[in-house]
Amino acid sequence: MQPNCHLLLQNIKEAIIMLDKDGYIQYSNPATTTITGYTANELLNNHLSLIYSNKEDSLRADYELRQAFKNGKFLVEGWKLSKNGDKFWCEISLTPLYNEQEEHVGYSCILHDTNDRKKHEIELRQSEERYRLMVEGVRDYAIFMLNPTGHIITWNEGARRTKGYSSYEIIGKHFSTFYTAEDLEDGKPERELKIAIATGKYEEEGWRVKKNGSVFWANVVITSLFNEQNQLIGFSKVTRDLTDRKENEESLRQSEERYRSLVEQVTDYGIFMLDEKGRIISWNEGARRMKGYNPDEILGKYFSIFYPEEDIMNGKPSHELRVAREVGKYEEEGWRLRKDGTMFWASVVITAVYNHTNTLIGYSKVTRDLTERKASERALRDSYERYRQLSEELKATNDELMLANQEMEQFTSIVSHDLQEPVRTIKSFLQLIDMKLNQGQYEDLKTYISKSINASNRMKELIQNLLSYTQVSKKEIAEDEIRVEELFNIALQNVKTTVETTNAEIIIESDVDTIHGDSIQLVQLIQNLLSNALKFTDVDSPRIMIKCNKEDGQVKFAITDNGIGIAEEDLGKIFEIFRRLNTKKEYPGTGIGLAICKKIVDRHRGRIWPVSEKGKGTTFYFTINEEKVEKLPLLQ
Amino acid sequence: MRKFKIIVVENDEDEQFFMKQGFDSSGLFEIITMVRNGDVLLEWLTDNTATLPDIILSDLNMPGKNGYDIILGIKGNPTYNHIPVIITSTSSTKTIVDKCLNMGAADYVVKPETFIEYVPYVENLHRLIEDKQLVRNAGGLPS
Repeated sequence: MQPNCHLLLQNIKEAIIMLDKDGYIQYSNPATTTITGYTANELLNNHLSLIYSNKEDSLRADYELRQAFKNGKFLVEGWKLSKNGDKFWCEISLTPLYNEQEEHVGYSCILHDTNDRKKHEIELRQSEERYRLMVEGVRDYAIFMLNPTGHIITWNEGARRTKGYSSYEIIGKHFSTFYTAEDLEDGKPERELKIAIATGKYEEEGWRVKKNGSVFWANVVITSLFNEQNQLIGFSKVTRDLTDRKENEESLRQSEERYRSLVEQVTDYGIFMLDEKGRIISWNEGARRMKGYNPDEILGKYFSIFYPEEDIMNGKPSHELRVAREVGKYEEEGWRLRKDGTMFWASVVITAVYNHTNTLIGYSKVTRDLTERKASERALRDSYERYRQLSEELKATNDELMLANQEMEQFTSIVSHDLQEPVRTIKSFLQLIDMKLNQGQYEDLKTYISKSINASNRMKELIQNLLSYTQVSKKEIAEDEIRVEELFNIALQNVKTTVETTNAEIIIESDVDTIHGDSIQLVQLIQNLLSNALKFTDVDSPRIMIKCNKEDGQVKFAITDNGIGIAEEDLGKIFEIFRRLNTKKEYPGTGIGLAICKKIVDRHRGRIWPVSEKGKGTTFYFTINEEKVEKLPLLQ
Repeated sequence: MRKFKIIVVENDEDEQFFMKQGFDSSGLFEIITMVRNGDVLLEWLTDNTATLPDIILSDLNMPGKNGYDIILGIKGNPTYNHIPVIITSTSSTKTIVDKCLNMGAADYVVKPETFIEYVPYVENLHRLIEDKQLVRNAGGLPS
């Protein structure tokens, strides 16, 4: 028995110490050294208080020993101190020892090191405390415990805020307090607990009632709690007030819905989204109308489908996305393709779209078809241009008219003035005749009568010439193809008598077959010039040379005489109406012939000019178009 | 009553004849010469610078240098430009009157209805010259 007892004391993990009646150590086993760090020798004859946490706490040790002696046993847990000063948690069991004579001789002391268990326990408690504090401190969630019957046993700050009850008001109450009348009638609280028990958890969103009677939209999670024996010990209940979130969500949803339908219904703009790679992920009505694709045809396709081949070869689509990514936006006007292959002039804005974490999620693209606008702009420009031209034409016409009007005014004043002269002469002589007759004088009457006749002849001549002059201006001029030879022949025929009486020599040199113009007027033109050539001469045999040749796309005529010529200072006056230049002898005429010539040439868009030297003859040149002229002047 | 020295420019011989009668019978003018157009007038003036007229009365419409040419010729020559040129013609068409006055004519007088009524015309012409003081240095010849 003895060796066994020794073996037991040597190997047991509990420290076993024998104390004398006063608490001094008489024996300690090896485990004591392991636990306290002191060797057996170091402990021997030392008081048990050596290992107490308050060093030399003999008062406490004495008390405990006395308690052990009195009660037969004393158990205590507490901090003890090892040799190196570390605290360790242990259980001490003190028991009085008696010898065979029943005399009290000391105490047995068993130290049971519960340090590890205690640490765990402390950690657990600290952790629980943390959780408790945490739970209690949570403000946004109502977190509370229910007992198995559903009565509230804990209450946190979040619960107070959410539901409006303070913990003293609500602990002990049933959780159905928070349900609406309908839910209560429906037996909802009980059902929720049943579900939680059956499945471990019940979760829902629904209406709950606050202390003040108002309802709130709650997210509720009820978790059933079981102990190690799998007995239901209660429920945890976490409630969150979603009213704000729900309102936000709802308004967000509505706003999104509004924008979505707005965008979808826009018809004048193609509005669509591209993903970050440029694939089309949304498509509105405007895009459908503009580009001709239905959503199912286009969604998922790359947006480069809208670009002409040249742009694709140039990498334009990806360039546009790159610019949009780098600067946020890409804007341009350019040609884009419709589904049917036709092009339209588009205004394009590509905007990079980022999510809340600032990650690029794609692009929005807004396209507008400017073709019509451009077309109408062009039409407007064209019409403006047309009106401008028209107004310029009108202005030119107006100027022409004004000029014509001025000319007409001058013309009529000159005409009326000059026509009065012979009338006045006739009247004067008639009055003279009357006077003479009254006085019975008859000698000069015949002279007066013949002077009157001369004046009326002149009057007649003036009126005839005026008529032919106005005829040239008035008539729409013809555009006949006329043989030049024939023109000369007719004109010469008309002045035949004069040619014969003056014994004139006429030479014609022409290398032009035909010209275009009004044959009657052109005959008159040539005839007038020939008449002048025959008239203004003082030689016995007038020589007239008619030449006609092509020059600078026109036909140039020249009628040269060997007559009296024109003084240099008079060259500018010869085409004025009624103008008769000074000559040594009086030549008959009204001063209209050359004015008519000028008018005819003007109306044919030609040019007429004299080259002359006084006494050496005159050459009249004029040009006429060989071909038809687009438009002959209205007036002049 | 001052007697003005006048040159009359008129191409119509009959008119000239009756004008001369009118001027002579009035005694208000001394006709220095009568010429048939501007060419002759200017020639005469060149040949007779010592006996320049007080006034030139000119028809408008004549073969050769006409009334307008005379205005320009007289007004454009420093030797003659002090001599007033009065244009006389058959009608009082405003554009023609204006044109003459604008070119430098001293006045414009409409001819009488007939040749035989030149006396009142001449009297009226004299009155007009005096009223308007068209002839400045009385009696004296320009230097």
